[in-house]
Amino acid sequence: MVNGYLATSLQEALEIRAKNAITPYGGGTDLMIEPAENANYLFLSKVPEMKKIVEDTQYIRIGAACTFTDILESELVPAILKEAVAQIAAPAIRNLGTAGGNICNGSAKGDSTLIFFATDAKLRLVSNTGERVIPITDFFLGRKKTSLQADELLVEILMNRTGLSNYYYKKVGARDALAISRVSFAAILNVEGDKIVNCMTAFGAVSDVIIRRADIDVMLAGKTIEEAKAVKQAYLAAYDQAIVPIRGRISAEYRKTVCMNLLRDFLESNGI
Amino acid sequence: MMIKFILNGQAVTSAAKANERLLDVLRDEFRLTGVKCGCKEGECGACSVILDGRLVNTCMVAMGSIEGSTVMTIEGYRETERFAVLDKAYAAVSAVQCGFCIPGMMLASECILANNPNPTEAQIRTGISGNLCRCTGYNAIVEAIAIAAKEGRGLW
Repeated sequence: MVNGYLATSLQEALEIRAKNAITPYGGGTDLMIEPAENANYLFLSKVPEMKKIVEDTQYIRIGAACTFTDILESELVPAILKEAVAQIAAPAIRNLGTAGGNICNGSAKGDSTLIFFATDAKLRLVSNTGERVIPITDFFLGRKKTSLQADELLVEILMNRTGLSNYYYKKVGARDALAISRVSFAAILNVEGDKIVNCMTAFGAVSDVIIRRADIDVMLAGKTIEEAKAVKQAYLAAYDQAIVPIRGRISAEYRKTVCMNLLRDFLESNGI
Repeated sequence: MMIKFILNGQAVTSAAKANERLLDVLRDEFRLTGVKCGCKEGECGACSVILDGRLVNTCMVAMGSIEGSTVMTIEGYRETERFAVLDKAYAAVSAVQCGFCIPGMMLASECILANNPNPTEAQIRTGISGNLCRCTGYNAIVEAIAIAAKEGRGLW
């Protein structure tokens, strides 16, 4: 094969990755839009270790080469991820595009990436010499910049098995199908008894990197709904300051307004 | 090294580079021009084929990824009984005008019915949501797929 390697096991993929300057290829739906003429790909769609969705005691483990269709068809995948993935592009793209590709493309507009941010997912990155498991927030260094090393592959995404069911998700796009997010927002609020255990929010397509501010969300932790109402204005003000949208195809003002509206709607839908 | 795959039921090999688009190879090397090139960015669905049982846009598929895979284009699909049912249904409600989107639309129709022989209107619309048609306004196509589901009972 000229200009490419087809790996059939993780071991083989890691060996090829370590020895060659190649671009890891999941489903191709981002890479093939503007392919470099001399692009040299490492095809991962036939690596069994990266094609599985399994669970252990703590995590749902999603193989990085699982397509969006694989994710939709899995019984293990939490509803928040399925709802977002079902709105990605159209069936033919969902049949190719992968969760790993969505993340490693480095875009703040990745619709599945947003959910991994909002749920504090972890990434398992493996090389020939070892592996590391890091929070997804540590993986993103800037616009289209990730901490993926030249000999590493993203092998699995780890989502917590519990605490993801009371969620809120909205994608704002120009149309239903084949739409790039103008703004996307995902959030989770866990309440036990009358106390908020934790609140997790993430804003996509707004800034160079998806915005995930656990330091602000913690303002609501440990509070009753009534107490949360009392800090609501301070909470919203903190986000008003934290969200600094970049201007893209649509104005920064529009993005900011929509972000704040979605955040308020999320709080109100939970009685806050 | 050649890339081997199954194309419309036949084992074939291609001398293409691994980073070439399946779209270009199907049209230029295998002369399967029913695979249309509309946008080259996954937006229009005109280049759709069925790859290992799933609808894909061939403009987004690099050749190296299909080694050992099975590809069906409209040229292969038109030999099937299912195609005959869809063909008749599309004709019955005039669901074809210029025809450019139709090869992809037919294969999308096949994938809808293969997954679900009794789709709702909403499921049909989702199933063709990646296949753009500039002529018909979609309603006739949606109707044709519903007719095919009925007329072709037992085939899917």
